[in-house]
Amino acid sequence: MSALSRMSRTARTGWAFAAPGLSLLVIVMGFPLVFAVLMSLSSLTLRHFRLAPFKGFENFARVLGDPLFWEATWLTIRYSVVTVTGEFVIGLALALMLQKVARWRGVYFAILTIPMAMSPIAVALIWRMLLQPNLGIVNQTLRGLGFEGVDWFGDPGLALATMAAVDIWQQTSFVVLILAAGLASLPREPYEAAEVDGAGALQQFFYITLPMLRPVAAIVVVIQLINEFRTYDLPYVLTRGGPGNATEVLSYFAYRRAFLGLALNEGAAASWILLILVLALTVVFFRLVERHETSPGA
Amino acid sequence: MIRQLFPSTCALALVAAAVLAGPARAEVTLRALMEDVPETAIIESLLPQFTEKTGIKVEFEKIGYGDMHDKLVLQLTSPESFYNLLSVDFLWAGEFPEAGWLEDLGPMARNSGMNLDGFIPAMWDLLGRDGDTIPIVPMYNYSMGLIYRTDLLGDQPLPDTLEGFIDLAVRMKAEKDVVGLAMQGQRGDPNSMEFSNFLFASGADYLDAEGNVVLDSDAGRKALGLYVRAMTEAAQQGALNANLDDTRRLMCAGEAFAMISYWWMLPALDNAADCPAVAGKLALAVVPGGHGESGGWGWGIPKNVSDEEKAAAWAFIEWVQSPEIVKARALAGHAPVQTAAFEDAEVLAKFPYYADAGKVVAAGKSFPIFTYTAQYEDVLGTQLSLAASGQATVEEALAAAAKGLADLMAQ
Repeated sequence: MSALSRMSRTARTGWAFAAPGLSLLVIVMGFPLVFAVLMSLSSLTLRHFRLAPFKGFENFARVLGDPLFWEATWLTIRYSVVTVTGEFVIGLALALMLQKVARWRGVYFAILTIPMAMSPIAVALIWRMLLQPNLGIVNQTLRGLGFEGVDWFGDPGLALATMAAVDIWQQTSFVVLILAAGLASLPREPYEAAEVDGAGALQQFFYITLPMLRPVAAIVVVIQLINEFRTYDLPYVLTRGGPGNATEVLSYFAYRRAFLGLALNEGAAASWILLILVLALTVVFFRLVERHETSPGA
Repeated sequence: MIRQLFPSTCALALVAAAVLAGPARAEVTLRALMEDVPETAIIESLLPQFTEKTGIKVEFEKIGYGDMHDKLVLQLTSPESFYNLLSVDFLWAGEFPEAGWLEDLGPMARNSGMNLDGFIPAMWDLLGRDGDTIPIVPMYNYSMGLIYRTDLLGDQPLPDTLEGFIDLAVRMKAEKDVVGLAMQGQRGDPNSMEFSNFLFASGADYLDAEGNVVLDSDAGRKALGLYVRAMTEAAQQGALNANLDDTRRLMCAGEAFAMISYWWMLPALDNAADCPAVAGKLALAVVPGGHGESGGWGWGIPKNVSDEEKAAAWAFIEWVQSPEIVKARALAGHAPVQTAAFEDAEVLAKFPYYADAGKVVAAGKSFPIFTYTAQYEDVLGTQLSLAASGQATVEEALAAAAKGLADLMAQ
């Protein structure tokens, strides 16, 4: 008896409906991933446009042997932690505030979705103009108020922080929307019981809201971590990885290998290392959340 | 149900196929990716003449320089390039022909009788002509010179050494409440091109006559020292992340004394409509020290387009570099690559500074041109940025830049 004939009629219908979508996924995601593996093991460069001869893990060794790769990795981790933390804290605060708002709530949500709907390239260009040190409106305003202008992207000590702030500005709206939906779905009974017991607003937040929101929060954090690890558009438009290597994140490192160094194979290897890093982080993060859920004190 | 839906589904599929397929290719349309600079606008204004003469339409897609290389490489490595006419920077004149992406234009030039001797020889050298093999036909030059404010300089003469000029720029910033030197210090092409002027003007070079790397020399260290000093004491705030657009805006707004930039920036700035703060107060000179960075763009034809498109692209190149169109371009502010345009009385009467531009072009020296030039700009640019931001010493940065060049040339 074949597997197909053993399946129930409902299961077969389910597979039939899922088949077009799954096929599309295999084509648009599976094929590039497999091809990227092949590239990373091959001799493919923009000068030698053939996969053969295959070089094993030589490209990975070259990437891992570059000190700049480790610098970019450490910088990407710092950048991702700062941006995701910023997005989460601000996003949660806004979501909590919006929960209390009765009038114009739809309008506030509509305004909040604007940054999310914008292309990161457009966002970067807008902020590049706003923060232009000499003629940009932000520094002009600061000077008008009697302060010194700030070298937002030209100061190696400030460039990464400024880029993170731009990123937080754009990405926070997504966090707000998801957390607001999570907050709206929380049951009222625990709050009513807590009020009867005399719990204050802060106690309710830390002992009821946060624990119940944990699954939604974990998903938001993981999605944003993945997003931030892949950040490419902002350094490309805002700083080109500079000054020096001050904003060279892993994606930009991979891009430089592939397109400036003409080494598509090394670019693919760097991309795969990035993917493995993100997957590992995601697994670790979910494990931590799971462990906390199942621990006796949770 | 399925039987009922089938005819309408087929009809929809046919309509979709017709829409996606678009009109039949009855005529060639030339498509070129162009840098968004005044020269492109000048050529674009003349395109109706070409279409009227040949019936061939030309579409320019204008973008910033920083995005051009990658977009072109993706097309040139694809089965068929979307761009069937190429504008090629001299920095890619090693990479593109070496990779086998460009058609040899030599046979087309010979068959059509194009006057190749009318071009400035240095432009052919810059764009990789090898005897009868012509991968790229010169389009315009972008040698770099010093654009400065005559009203701020007053009666004092321009210093004849780079060191003297940096002193002057530092003084201007301190005394005249302007930026002494508007600088494009963003890592990569902007700061590599700018620094090359400091290098050549200090008497140093990247390579010697035999092609050996000689960057890490006393003169090279002096050049980088002056570059760092200019960046920290004479340049605008944010110079470390500034590009050509930023320096142009600063100069146009009247907030800078000088900039080392492409000489054709002068007509764009010396324009009362666009830059009233500085129009009539600007002049051009060879970079103090005697040499600046030389550069140029050329026309190419990709191999991965049809013969019909190649023929149309050549017709365009022949037209746009013909004497009458070159003169029309020069009268609109074009940076010529043909000697006659620099000597044309009508052109000189309209733009007297073309005489200075000729000197700037003649004094120009070239960035190293080889397969990995684009990558080397990134390597050098990173080291310059590290030195200018105090994250590396002049000695460390120059040694790393020299090693990077030697390594890439050995690949």
